[in-house]
Amino acid sequence: MPAASTTPDPSLIRALEGIVGPRGVVTSPEGRLTYECDMHTLYKGAPDVVVLPETAEHVAAIVRLCRERKVPIVPRGSGTGLIGGAMATRGGVMVSTTRMNRILELDLPNRCAIVQPGLINLWLSNATRPSGWFFAPDPSSQMVSSIGGNASTNAGGPHCLKYGITVNHVLGLQVVTGAGELVWLGGKVPERPGYDLTGVMVGAEGTLGLLTAVVVRLTHVPEAVRTLLASFSSIEDASETVSAIVAAGIIPAALEMIDEVMVKAIEEGVGAGYPKGAGAVLLIELDGPSAEIDAQSARIEEICWSHAALEVRVAADESERALLWKGRKEAAGAMGRLTPNWLLQDAVVPRSRLPQIMREMQVIQQRYGLVLANVFHAGDGNLHPMICYDERKPGELERAQQVNEELLRACLALGGTVTGEHGVGLDKAKNLPHQFAESDLNFMARLRRVFDPDGIMNPDKLLPAHPACGEGFRPARPEIPRGAWI
Amino acid sequence: MSRAPALTRALEEIAGLAHVVTDPAALAAAAVDGLAPRWIARPSSVDQIARVLALAAAESLAVTPRGGGSSLGLGYPPRRLDLVLDMSRLDGVLDYVPEDMVASVQCGISLDALAGRLGQHGQRLPLDPAPGGARSIGGVLATAASGPLRLRYGTGRDLLLGVRFVQADGVVTWGGARVVKSVTGYDVPKLLVGSLGTLGVLAEATIRLHPIPPAWGSWLFGFETPGAAAAFIAAVVDSALQPERLVLLDAGAARAAADSATHGAAVAISIASTAEAVTAQRDALSMLAARHGGRPGEIGAGAWSRLGAALAAPLVIRLAGEPARLGHWLTALEHVARDGRIGLISMGEAGGGVLRAALRAPDGDGVPTPTWLEGAVSGLRAALAPEGGSLVVERAPRAVKDTVDVWGPVAPDALAIMRRLKAQFDPAGILNPGRFVGGL
Repeated sequence: MPAASTTPDPSLIRALEGIVGPRGVVTSPEGRLTYECDMHTLYKGAPDVVVLPETAEHVAAIVRLCRERKVPIVPRGSGTGLIGGAMATRGGVMVSTTRMNRILELDLPNRCAIVQPGLINLWLSNATRPSGWFFAPDPSSQMVSSIGGNASTNAGGPHCLKYGITVNHVLGLQVVTGAGELVWLGGKVPERPGYDLTGVMVGAEGTLGLLTAVVVRLTHVPEAVRTLLASFSSIEDASETVSAIVAAGIIPAALEMIDEVMVKAIEEGVGAGYPKGAGAVLLIELDGPSAEIDAQSARIEEICWSHAALEVRVAADESERALLWKGRKEAAGAMGRLTPNWLLQDAVVPRSRLPQIMREMQVIQQRYGLVLANVFHAGDGNLHPMICYDERKPGELERAQQVNEELLRACLALGGTVTGEHGVGLDKAKNLPHQFAESDLNFMARLRRVFDPDGIMNPDKLLPAHPACGEGFRPARPEIPRGAWI
Repeated sequence: MSRAPALTRALEEIAGLAHVVTDPAALAAAAVDGLAPRWIARPSSVDQIARVLALAAAESLAVTPRGGGSSLGLGYPPRRLDLVLDMSRLDGVLDYVPEDMVASVQCGISLDALAGRLGQHGQRLPLDPAPGGARSIGGVLATAASGPLRLRYGTGRDLLLGVRFVQADGVVTWGGARVVKSVTGYDVPKLLVGSLGTLGVLAEATIRLHPIPPAWGSWLFGFETPGAAAAFIAAVVDSALQPERLVLLDAGAARAAADSATHGAAVAISIASTAEAVTAQRDALSMLAARHGGRPGEIGAGAWSRLGAALAAPLVIRLAGEPARLGHWLTALEHVARDGRIGLISMGEAGGGVLRAALRAPDGDGVPTPTWLEGAVSGLRAALAPEGGSLVVERAPRAVKDTVDVWGPVAPDALAIMRRLKAQFDPAGILNPGRFVGGL
């Protein structure tokens, strides 16, 4: 990885202090080291300086300053990303949103809230739940991740099977583009004429601009929630159960699969009450009107039993439900008991291909002699294999990376995608040419340039670097009939 | 004009002799806002679209893509028009795996034809834009058209997963993914939904489907005033009830939905779920309506298509404001219409804050005068501006369009970015020139 420069330009520091005050600028080596990586710790690079703006105007002034001086900008929310998105490949200025963490407005009659980007995801639901509303996107990091980060990576979560991913819940944004414009896009009124710039900005990982406010849709708390846990002797039985539930016309709020290795780790780490020794566990959650849930959960139980379930359990009360989910949400933490290091994948396959990809995964892991643990969003085919390795053993990291690449290729061959919810960042940029043609990448590179003409916004992220100048990526142009040139 | 025969031959070489139209009557019938094209080409493959566009780019021909043809009235009159790209031959289903609840289709397929295929597997694409199922998928996506089902299922923005499109220079490009969840690269489909074919021609769409629920019911609740109806809607929105449609109707729309309706306003609701839940929610709705002075009546599925048809008038406006102010805007519209003795049928979508209205001249079936409309539209736009609302004239005769700004203003800073996008992806301005916001 490129090492960060260590010589911040004193005049840049002074100018930044002029914008946010001396307390809003971090320049000490120890201070900057805190910001050298996100949760993907293989990618390290500290910025030259970290700046902590408090207002949209601060952010706009910072971007304009950096643009003038052609200094790269890396945005950062809570730093819980998994893709090496919030680290500095080329030094430069990191803009942390942690001081912009307020709810600016709650507007329940209009089912929305306006928040600053640094607001922690769960804080919003905590503020609105007493009135009967919540913010639906629920990445596992929601206790600590920021809504600006969620929007920038278009984060998912277990419940996006029914509720959709973050972009489906963002009505508008206030942004500072890479060109230094401070502009409102969209807002409380969901529909407005013109291109959907909000939709483009969500998931752009800070490569088009920085978010300074987010208008989010709130969802009404459902009448009832029911969580079922079903265990099976094999991954195949569990996968086919997933297909059968969806084929029955039921879209659960969440439909998660946990494999044997992961069940063991979770039970040892958290003790969530998952049945030990099962080959696979499905965590199924329904929400909505009580009468609908009663009918659907009875049908799901039938389906589980007819697919050779070993056990079907319905969470008896809220505390048991919370415990079942605690295991799922803290799975990554529990991995520490299983392995010193792991790589996390995020590829997606069409739901109907789950049994096939799970079989291929077995073959690949045996070939490389590594253990894989699985906990994933089975309902939408979003895999999260954790590839276990020990960095102290020579060659293991490389083998884990090879497993990762082979799995990705296998998912793409089945019509899947490289990343379902974590994002591209630095980690997966190199994989995009496997999924997209040069024409497609060229279009995206030009889209980036419209918002960021100088290429200062989160460089090296989201799109692969190209050796050629300018946009790189040469699109294939069709032939024109000769007659036209007469 | 001497180049025309060569261009005709070139187009024929691409699309085939039978699929390039130069007959004056046919060209006149394909006019957009009175402007007839010089050719209609009917490509049968993505490659043919690509070659037609490459030719158009080289020859600087202005191109308007055409799906079902029902919504070509949207937007400013074209600055120029040489070639209509008729998508009707691209009407196939390319890939459909019911277990995945995803389908990839050619963009010329109609909503009805697609519904037929999906219905065999108990699934549907829950988009119900006016005027109805003859519209093509490409047209629906390019115009970001939706109907009352958006409350539950969202719009094309939420349902389009991946898209193959052809850029202005003929380069075939793919954006998005074929699975229900992907954040790989920019969300290019979002950029294209609602772009009115000004950044590229939509050729193939991969869309997310939903199951057709096992049970369904719909009802019309009559109220004395729009205010009372709106209060009921607010109560439904702030409850755990999950209607699939929830719309506010003025007196005219209520009559379109149910002949017997004689109310000052009404709320039409449909619920789709399991049989038990439909019954339970119907009972809860009735109690809630009674508390707000609403009188219940059952309506059939036909009521929804009648509503769509009632709004397929020669002059239709779309007003978007804060969702909670739907009742306010319906009343405001009624006042404006009453002052001009204008016939009004309007329907507002709860949750989305979108209100559509068909306006008719005082003397019957004609459209109001451009001068009256200009005054009414300016007044409403000024009132909507503080909350970030907008008013779009969705359909109007050319004479009206020459007087009234059909899109209305777009915030200058956002428009500046849109202009840069257009300049980047269609620098010669050959895709629907002049029709989109800001004259893009």
